[in-house]
Amino acid sequence: MSYGNYPNPQPNPQWPGYPPSASPDNHLVWAILTTIFCCLPFGIVSIVFAAQVNSKWSLGDYQGAIESSQKAKTWAIVSAACGVGVGIIYGIFIAVVASRNGGVAPTNP
Amino acid sequence: MTVVAHTPPRRAAWLGLKRKLTAVRARFHPAVWPVLVAGMAAGAVGYVAAVDPGTPGHYPTCPFYALTGYYCPGCGTLRAIHALAHGHPGQALGYNVLSMSMLPVLGYFWGAWLIRSVRGQPRQALAHPAWIWGLAAVIAVFWVVRNLPFGHFLAPTGRI
Repeated sequence: MSYGNYPNPQPNPQWPGYPPSASPDNHLVWAILTTIFCCLPFGIVSIVFAAQVNSKWSLGDYQGAIESSQKAKTWAIVSAACGVGVGIIYGIFIAVVASRNGGVAPTNP
Repeated sequence: MTVVAHTPPRRAAWLGLKRKLTAVRARFHPAVWPVLVAGMAAGAVGYVAAVDPGTPGHYPTCPFYALTGYYCPGCGTLRAIHALAHGHPGQALGYNVLSMSMLPVLGYFWGAWLIRSVRGQPRQALAHPAWIWGLAAVIAVFWVVRNLPFGHFLAPTGRI
């Protein structure tokens, strides 16, 4: 099993219940950027997983927090990729429509 | 090497790419990255300031708005950044009050990241979960209310 960048995810065996060395990243910044600055509702899923990271960590569920961290990351990547994809499709669409209209781009409603 | 031999090729390629990226990252001082991100953000703001999002055809329409006819929580952000860059904060708040109030939060995160990078410290602690659940709730409520008749003042009309 892979834990990304967290080399020591297991609770300390000498003192059970003590947290691993570093807390996992909740990727909240990416969640905010994709939800509010990319206009993509997928980011809201990422925010929920970000909140889960902090909730589970504060309850001592370190394994669960790391899993939620991975999910938050995945959904942030999905949102960002969708944003880039929509931009590219829009660019192609505009280019096609403009070439049919004789070089005039369509207008928004 | 036996570990590599048992790893599926696609996974091995991914791990190799990850190792290369880590090696590239290690060649630079950690504080380079926050500075680079600030430079990219400044470039993006400069572009949005120069190319007016209020003019049709300059930017893609929000995909959520195009598909459903409803505003998403981010609708109006480009016009708000344009207004703010041209020195009209009131107008910017009229376009999207949520994204504008997120700017100080993002600024705080960036500052903390820069300080951590300069000092070479890892992330020390996570915020209380209530803050992030609260943020998720605020976004969800904002999303719904700006689409309702009585919440029209939150819609990206820009008339304030």
